[in-house]
Amino acid sequence: MTGTPVLGPDRPSQSMEGSSTLQEPGAGAEFPQNFFRRRRSRLLRTQRGAAITSTVSTVTVIGAIIVAFLLAPGSRQVRATYFNLHDMWRAFIGDPHEGFYSVGKGLVVNIEMFMIGEVLILVLALVIALVRQSRSPVLFPLRMLAVAYVDFFRGVPLILVLLAIGFGLPALYLPVVSTQSAFVYGVLALVISYSAYVSEVYRAGLNSVPFSQIASARSLGLRPHTAMRYVVLPQAIRTIIPPLLNTFVSLQKDTALVSVLGAVIEANRAAEIYSSTVFNYSGYTVAAILFLLLTIPLARFTDHLIARDRGRRLAGVT
Amino acid sequence: MVLASVLLVSGAGLGVGGFAAPSGASPDAQGPGNPAPLRSCSYSSIQPYLYSRGHLTIATDKPAYPPWFEHNRPTDGKGYESGVAYAVAKKLGFKKSQVNWVVETFNASYAPGPKHFDFDINEISVTKTRAKAVTFSKGYYTDDEALVALKGTPIVKHHTPAALKRYVFGEEIGTTALQYINSRIQPDHVPETFTTLNDVKSALQDHRIAAFVTDTPTSQYIATTEIPHSVVVGQFPASGQHYGLLFQKGDKLVKCVNKAIVELKRAGVLRKLAKKYLRVYTSIPVIKP
Repeated sequence: MTGTPVLGPDRPSQSMEGSSTLQEPGAGAEFPQNFFRRRRSRLLRTQRGAAITSTVSTVTVIGAIIVAFLLAPGSRQVRATYFNLHDMWRAFIGDPHEGFYSVGKGLVVNIEMFMIGEVLILVLALVIALVRQSRSPVLFPLRMLAVAYVDFFRGVPLILVLLAIGFGLPALYLPVVSTQSAFVYGVLALVISYSAYVSEVYRAGLNSVPFSQIASARSLGLRPHTAMRYVVLPQAIRTIIPPLLNTFVSLQKDTALVSVLGAVIEANRAAEIYSSTVFNYSGYTVAAILFLLLTIPLARFTDHLIARDRGRRLAGVT
Repeated sequence: MVLASVLLVSGAGLGVGGFAAPSGASPDAQGPGNPAPLRSCSYSSIQPYLYSRGHLTIATDKPAYPPWFEHNRPTDGKGYESGVAYAVAKKLGFKKSQVNWVVETFNASYAPGPKHFDFDINEISVTKTRAKAVTFSKGYYTDDEALVALKGTPIVKHHTPAALKRYVFGEEIGTTALQYINSRIQPDHVPETFTTLNDVKSALQDHRIAAFVTDTPTSQYIATTEIPHSVVVGQFPASGQHYGLLFQKGDKLVKCVNKAIVELKRAGVLRKLAKKYLRVYTSIPVIKP
């Protein structure tokens, strides 16, 4: 709170002081002596005022929302249906004999799915992006295939990919392909769909590295793939870590969709079973809280990475 | 931090004080205009208690499955539930043309807030916990569960209590079958829960599940008409549960609908409808898990 207001007005005052010394002695005499001090304290006052105003307005707005929520005619019922502590706890713990499963245990399944999925996505997407970036005429058919893949799977809704794989593959009665568990089909669909997105993120990163970098690497005698491996990729990946983490958060939530395949009792499905058995939505609230506990730390970590990267770049460290 | 604690304090303060006078609106009266309890069940006196005056608005899910509805069309009066709905409407004094059907998915039917129907008819089992969130009518059909499998699969012949534990079962989300499977059969493998009945059926046909559990009339319909080479293995002993019409919690109209159901039962109308649409065979063996 105290750090920023001081720094802000300091800078212009220094630069202006610097420029005033350049003026002729006669002109400086007409300048009020405590001009900068007065100006600075006025600025500080304004900043303090702004801080108070923003706090008051935030409290007012959020307070008004809470008041509207609590005084709404249906408030009691909404709170009993969505925020009932007893139901939230029961949904979290689960009781198969009563017909519902633990949302907490379900979350473990979500975590398994996105951890396995993310590793596969990062690899497959990189391969697709490198194929698309390649210039070799021999790879032309692969390049076309990569473009078609990205266009197709980025355009088809994930839920449809899930249903096509999860219900389509078993219906083929093939030896290995048709006998996998719903968990495997779910992760497969996530990997197929998300790789299309992530390959574009990779490609944006690869394109962000200036061509001069490749040219200088080549001029140092590095072969194309060595230049890609040691010069382009490290720079590209550092640039795209924030968008990659962003997609990772999105993937975490989309694991909930895998439940349409039936056998996967993940957090969202456990909550759905709870609510349809007991007619109370508090299980969904539990699932939402658990997902937030996963995604918020990751969001802060992403912010930290962005800030660190920005600091390094501004400091001129490459 | 300061902001957060201020909010907590203001929130807590409102939680205690704000509720003393919720601007005249009693929390029990949720319907748009349910001023006083219903005195008579005549056509004219129930009008203020309807979702839309002059009409009886009835909800069900889409697709509406046979034998409860036919051709996914609740409006034609065919199928057991469509028949019951129109019979209730007639008892309350509505003509067939005055019955409006609306689509309501099962998961939305028990959401808090105003309902856009008078009642929902969707094979919903009445349980004590569910009755905390909504109001149910008296039962219009007993909820018996049966097991459907493909002909020639092991479960058709081997379904002793011990053998039953070894199979992978499937069911549709929201049915009370899951509770039944987990508490009575207690299978080794977690039962698979699907979003729709059609997903359950395709899972059976693709051998992803050994059998599925659904209500007896539906299982008969599926085995005789829908899935070739499928068979009803048997039905479980009566659970004592029944299907009820779902109303907004505290709805006043339920009193008159209950009266209508009792009269329909006494006059044998429900039995006649069941005979016509549900084809209840007494030959289905009972299997005890």
